[in-house]
Amino acid sequence: MTDAMRVLNYQGTVAFLRNGKLETMKYFHAAEKGIEQERLLSLNSPLREIIRDADKVSCLFKSTQQAVVDHRPVGHSFLVDVPQNLDELSAVYDFKMAGEEDVAMLPAYVIAIQPKDDFRYVRKIWIEKQQFLPLKVAVYDLSGTVLEQVVFTDLEVKEALPFVEAKFGEAAENVKHIHQLQAQASDQATFVVNNLPPGFEEIFFTRRPIHNSNQPVDHLLLSDGFAAVSVYMENKNTAMQQGLQSVGAVNSFSRTIDDWQLTVMGEVPAKTVKFIAEGIKLRH
Amino acid sequence: MHEDLNQKISQFLDNELSADESLSLLQKIQQNAELRDKMNRYAAVSHALKTDTFLSSRSDFVERISQEIQHEPVYMLPQHNKFKRSHKISALAASIAIIAVIASQSMDHQTEQYQPSPIEVAQSQLPEQSSDSIVYRDQTRQYPVNTRFNDYLQAHNSSVYTNGEVNFQSFASVTVYNRE
Repeated sequence: MTDAMRVLNYQGTVAFLRNGKLETMKYFHAAEKGIEQERLLSLNSPLREIIRDADKVSCLFKSTQQAVVDHRPVGHSFLVDVPQNLDELSAVYDFKMAGEEDVAMLPAYVIAIQPKDDFRYVRKIWIEKQQFLPLKVAVYDLSGTVLEQVVFTDLEVKEALPFVEAKFGEAAENVKHIHQLQAQASDQATFVVNNLPPGFEEIFFTRRPIHNSNQPVDHLLLSDGFAAVSVYMENKNTAMQQGLQSVGAVNSFSRTIDDWQLTVMGEVPAKTVKFIAEGIKLRH
Repeated sequence: MHEDLNQKISQFLDNELSADESLSLLQKIQQNAELRDKMNRYAAVSHALKTDTFLSSRSDFVERISQEIQHEPVYMLPQHNKFKRSHKISALAASIAIIAVIASQSMDHQTEQYQPSPIEVAQSQLPEQSSDSIVYRDQTRQYPVNTRFNDYLQAHNSSVYTNGEVNFQSFASVTVYNRE
């Protein structure tokens, strides 16, 4: 499936159901000589065009002419990220065939990805039988309630699709740049992570301003292959809601440690962010 | 006689009178403006002694409630005359007195909206707010909490671009919850 997603040219209409909100978009994936591009056009307000070239995401809001060019630390598909080597995940996830269903009038295999502990969510992926493209991805909480869904309502594989350059026009002077992050060694972080659920590894660490100020924020990105967790640490002179918070499938837990404000956030159960946050100590 | 009534008002406020004595006292209070004022003052003093913070109702609070009830529309519904007129008056008087006491007790939660008059019982000093809460408000004004949370979300993953509600503004709401 990961190979099909990467090398095929395909387009369709995809619905994102997150945080109780349905967002329908036209989706295009262009691939040529190992280079790929994802493009999304929203069908409903706020109208916007989003283009992803590897780790660079460009977004233009049509109505406000606001634009963002965001250099992500890691390039992630808008649909789903599946690690190349599933064997490494077998310690924390079980992969099972859960039947066959039709999605967008296309026959698909249903793959259930069941975690072996309660530190992560259950996932299901519907994979189209001919081309092995993902037609639907669903994330469930531990009680089986759907938290997020990404579903194609139509999908078409093409011989070729054009690569599109982000053109901001009138918005050119109103572009917000989120610059390329410089990865740093995680031992430079002001904190140490002592409670790490099985399977989670450090992916990326950087120290940079995140808010509209020069105040640096330590950002450590963790992942178990499917679920990502971010750890943020910054000076406490910033106001932050303490404790657990939730936006859709994303949970966060905030607390203060001496003069520092800590927030752990990710697409994992509340228990996981709390567990990680409670095990974090200052490096000194 | 006055001393006796003062004693009864005090006992009434301390819930030490029997039902019959309470009704009798309330009937007297209903007919005597001076007694009504006295009861308000006693209620205020009693509440101030029991709590650190207190604002009493205006002296004509009960009178105004009574007038409002008089102006309430009459509903022409079938009535069952099970109660004597004197009982109705007593019940009305008791209701007004209870409303006055409850309202005065709740006033200390609404001090920001309430404008005390000079004749009312002086407000005791409000408990000091912690320095943390003051700092929190000032900083929130500088940079909204939800914006900070949104910054973290945007740095975490690119799903913010596919979420329709995010337009590089704060989330409308962030839910605090406990989900296992």
